[in-house]
Amino acid sequence: MVAAFFAAYRAHDVEGMVDLCAEGARLRYVPFEVWGRQRVLHGEGTVRTVGKLIWTALIDAFPDLTNTVTSLRVGAEGNVAAEVSIGGTQAKPFGGIANAGRRYELPHLFLFRVSGGELIEDIVAYWDYAAWKRQLGCLEVD
Amino acid sequence: MTAQDTAEKFFGAMQAGNVDAVLALATPDATVWLVPLDRRGPLAADGARYLGELAGAFPDLLVRVRRLFVAAGRTAVAEITIEGTQAGDFLGVADQEKQFDLDQAWMLTIAEDDRISAVTGYWDQNQLYRRLGVKRLDKINIAAG
Repeated sequence: MVAAFFAAYRAHDVEGMVDLCAEGARLRYVPFEVWGRQRVLHGEGTVRTVGKLIWTALIDAFPDLTNTVTSLRVGAEGNVAAEVSIGGTQAKPFGGIANAGRRYELPHLFLFRVSGGELIEDIVAYWDYAAWKRQLGCLEVD
Repeated sequence: MTAQDTAEKFFGAMQAGNVDAVLALATPDATVWLVPLDRRGPLAADGARYLGELAGAFPDLLVRVRRLFVAAGRTAVAEITIEGTQAGDFLGVADQEKQFDLDQAWMLTIAEDDRISAVTGYWDQNQLYRRLGVKRLDKINIAAG
């Protein structure tokens, strides 16, 4: 299931990624946060809203976006940990990072919960946004 | 002791700032990879250095384990939140006595004798800089006013 998810991601098949997730599946991309004056916006919500939006925008900004699953570990109760290297060449601004046409490659850790019905119910992702910015030529923290 | 017990003790020792207790849970040749710091090497050197810096900079450190499971290959996977008030320089960031909280994910490979043989830590260093008042990635030691 998780391997199929990253295969769909490699194929830029966002609908395919979503189809592997349960209705109401949750997503949290930990490094995504925007600090406004009144509140902080987080990269958190459902796969079918926030997830789809993020993946579509990423693929649009990095048209050669790809991934390599470097380790996949399955635990009890549907818990899965996947270490994944994700990279791509920037073609459009993304997440406050202006387009300098640079390429990035970053290690990520994805944590999934997969239901007994073999659908993804929860996705959490960790990576280092600072390294991402540095590789793409952006040196502002915000 | 189970792999889960070992992991819980690891994070307890991290909160206590007890680097010796962390190392006592690990094999002598245990390795560490601190992904955002691009630091890879022996846990007894690179890991101890990081944990010592963390404990020194945040004497009131709290480590909250939010999720912990043991996967195949005896790998304990944990999501934690570290919280504290800065009281010393940390990873090159000058002390401004700021309170911070940071979500992290750790993977601990547990050997057959229940000792830790490898540790990998993931977090977003940009979030850490933001919380500690850093404005530019090329001027880590110059904090905001």
